[in-house]
Amino acid sequence: MLVAVLALAAAATTGLASCGSGDSTDSGGGGAGDSSVTISQAAQPDFLDPALSYTIHGWEPMWLVYTPLLTYKREEGTAGSELIPGLADALPEVSADGKTYSLTLRKGLEYSDGTPVKASDFEHTIKRVLNLESGGAPYYEVIQGADAYLSGGDADADISGIQANDKTGEITIRLTAPEGAFSNVLAMNFAGVVPGDTPFENMTQDPAPGVGTYMFTKSEPNREFVLERNPKFTEDTIPGVPVANLETVRTVITPSVPQQTQDVIDNELDFMQEPPATDFVAEILDRFGPDGSEEQRFKEFTTLSTYYFFLNGDVAPFDDPKVREAVNIGLDKPALARLFAGTLEPGCSFLPPEMPGYSESLDSGACPWGDPNQPPDLERAKQLIREAGAEGAKVTVWGDNVDPTPKVTQAYADQLNQMGLDAEPKILDGGVYFQTIGNQGTEAQTGFLNWFADFPHPLNFFFLVDGATIQPTNNQNIGNVDDPRINKEIEALSEEPDLTAVTDRWEELNEYLVESAYLVPYGYRKLTTFMSERMDFANCATISPIYYNDYSQWCLKDE
Amino acid sequence: MVFTSRDEAESAGTEFSLDSSEQLAGDPAERAGLGPWRLTGRRLRRDKVAIASGIVFVLLIAACLAAPLWASEVAETTPEENHLSDQVLIDGKPTDVVDMLGKPIGPTWNGHFFLGADGNGRDIMVRLLYGGRNSLVIGLAAALGTIAMGLVLGLLAGYYRGRADSVISWAMDVLWAFPVVLLGVALGTALALGGLDLGPITIQGDSLAIPILIISIAYIPYLARPVRGQTLALREREFVEAARAQGMGSMRVVFTEVLPNVASTLVVFLPLLVANAILLEAALSFLGAGVQPPQASWGTMIAEGVERITSAPHLVIVPGAMLVLSVLSLNIFGEGVRDALDPRARVRIEH
Repeated sequence: MLVAVLALAAAATTGLASCGSGDSTDSGGGGAGDSSVTISQAAQPDFLDPALSYTIHGWEPMWLVYTPLLTYKREEGTAGSELIPGLADALPEVSADGKTYSLTLRKGLEYSDGTPVKASDFEHTIKRVLNLESGGAPYYEVIQGADAYLSGGDADADISGIQANDKTGEITIRLTAPEGAFSNVLAMNFAGVVPGDTPFENMTQDPAPGVGTYMFTKSEPNREFVLERNPKFTEDTIPGVPVANLETVRTVITPSVPQQTQDVIDNELDFMQEPPATDFVAEILDRFGPDGSEEQRFKEFTTLSTYYFFLNGDVAPFDDPKVREAVNIGLDKPALARLFAGTLEPGCSFLPPEMPGYSESLDSGACPWGDPNQPPDLERAKQLIREAGAEGAKVTVWGDNVDPTPKVTQAYADQLNQMGLDAEPKILDGGVYFQTIGNQGTEAQTGFLNWFADFPHPLNFFFLVDGATIQPTNNQNIGNVDDPRINKEIEALSEEPDLTAVTDRWEELNEYLVESAYLVPYGYRKLTTFMSERMDFANCATISPIYYNDYSQWCLKDE
Repeated sequence: MVFTSRDEAESAGTEFSLDSSEQLAGDPAERAGLGPWRLTGRRLRRDKVAIASGIVFVLLIAACLAAPLWASEVAETTPEENHLSDQVLIDGKPTDVVDMLGKPIGPTWNGHFFLGADGNGRDIMVRLLYGGRNSLVIGLAAALGTIAMGLVLGLLAGYYRGRADSVISWAMDVLWAFPVVLLGVALGTALALGGLDLGPITIQGDSLAIPILIISIAYIPYLARPVRGQTLALREREFVEAARAQGMGSMRVVFTEVLPNVASTLVVFLPLLVANAILLEAALSFLGAGVQPPQASWGTMIAEGVERITSAPHLVIVPGAMLVLSVLSLNIFGEGVRDALDPRARVRIEH
């Protein structure tokens, strides 16, 4: 609600914007006089099904179509990470042991097709996530009975840990163990509630109705999909979730990023989801950037993401702490940032900025390995490598073939060579990269990794360095970080439902991880918003820290 | 790549002594009974364009062989050394090799970064020369591999006929059915991932031997078929029958009587195969299925530069020009050799 009011106030002040609520008549001008925009993505979203999609291509449009029991404030920056009730009428009541979450469904909710929302639909939604073996399924396996449901093989069976009362709207979720981030898990796109009769199959071709400001009205995989304003969704449906300003958002799949870029420059496309093609960045900044020669329609924003190199502590030479320290000291982070064409902010912290527990001091002079924005101390790194007796040690540097990883992997290998190691890059196809390096048999020594937050909770990053998650295959703790202090603290903090009460402890843990040199964080990725000139960039280009571009708040200039 | 037609292909090489006698009836020196190879040499020397092209190709090889010299003495870097944070003096002004937006410097026309840098701040000239070595080594080795395998298969199929011919021809048909680039990408992607493990022989996925092997195999039918066709004709000739009548074994007949008579076909094919192998290597490397980073080849250089084709066109133009120059010079030289050996033959490997 607050956002809608602010947007209207801005429109009134500037006299430019046509932002309005759903019940107002939109005067913003599309070419045909309606408030329709055409945008592009380079690839078809993995799925247009909330149970299955696990990419930003899918999440960015779908979070506006499928609202979970909990959701996030529609605001930029840290405020946008705050949980608010979604389909539930309030934030959950958590039992003293942290294992039971009680919520109540809002009254009178309807899906976009007019079907009333029932409490039991939530259980069906979670069943679909588990039954379809979604990438998000592990998040919900902490629910009591989820394991039995999965092993039982009966899609219609009950999940014993979810009790839903359709008459009262009460939903009770029991967990097998306390899970401090479970409220965030409930707010994930996977838990976007769908009707109880939604089949246990991929619904991309015919997306299910949801409760959201938009609804899917067309889906032609690899060609286009269309979001239209949901007539059933009003300002009162979910307080804090505004009605969409634009009537229609049509997304066309355009594989060529340079083509998309040129089309946005020429105003033939209203927005592109990918960052502009590298070749165009300088021109776009010059013309449409914050200090550009023309009206601004391009900006960068830092995501909740960390780019880092893993260092496998179980394999030589990185089993020697001195070698790990040397790599942290000798890595030229500003040099690597150049490979991202200005879309990487050099950093030293494992938790990224705006993530609770992020240690700002690490990026402002207190990084134990040197200022991430300054050239490294290569001599010190060489000395440590010599002291460790690792000079000339053979190292294979792993990376996938998704741009700019090959360039980064090669630059990293070259920097390791300058430190005194004998490194060779090994570039794998993106489709097999994580399987290969996540297999202990590969004995991957070091390589490229990144992580974009699924939700704004430190646990969503720290499971990557939790000794308890080490597995022989499909291992996500690729560096095999297994430090008793880290493991114990993760276990303790993960049971704490009130994140604000333990933010300091997360911050200490983040600093300890960085000081221990178990991995080499080197920056946080920036993404971009680039719009046509008919879009009201100044007033309506809102960025959610979780889901990025908020289409529902977009608006057009008056024509 | 396909031959213009199988008939043309199979009649590509013939016993050149017959053609030369008809063609050169008016030449007193030739009438005097010069040997075929000397005759070929004489004809080739008359073809100035072919000779010039041959010289260009030899110069390219020489330049590429001198890569380490240029790298160490002039550019003072290696093909794999990144200079992301370095600066060079241009008109007395320190300039970033790669700027903050990742745009690399263009040609400086002096020792350091003579032809500019790539996105990783590597010296293009150094990579061009080292890449040329890789491209040429692959092209030459793959062409020789094709000739070795294609020759043996063609001779066996043509001489023994029957079941051996059926099996080999069937295999050639299967191989021929795949477009060369498609076959190369399929094999290249699979082998670049896990390498090749054949018991005692293990080839790493990033080894140059992988593209060499792939290209060698892909072009076998293009050589084996004409050799088979010639062998089928030759085995019926009197001199072969005479050899058999003298009690020579089959293998001896093949290698002492038939093989020398298909040698001219091999000589004609060699430069064309090398040119096509270089081109295929570039295509495979461009698609990520050939030479693996950080090793350079002209194909990988083009692939790495294509995203900056507008702001830094030198990244694509320079290796592209080298590719054109080498393939064109080899093709023209190859055509000259073909004309010199057998002016009537129409050997052509087309895209």
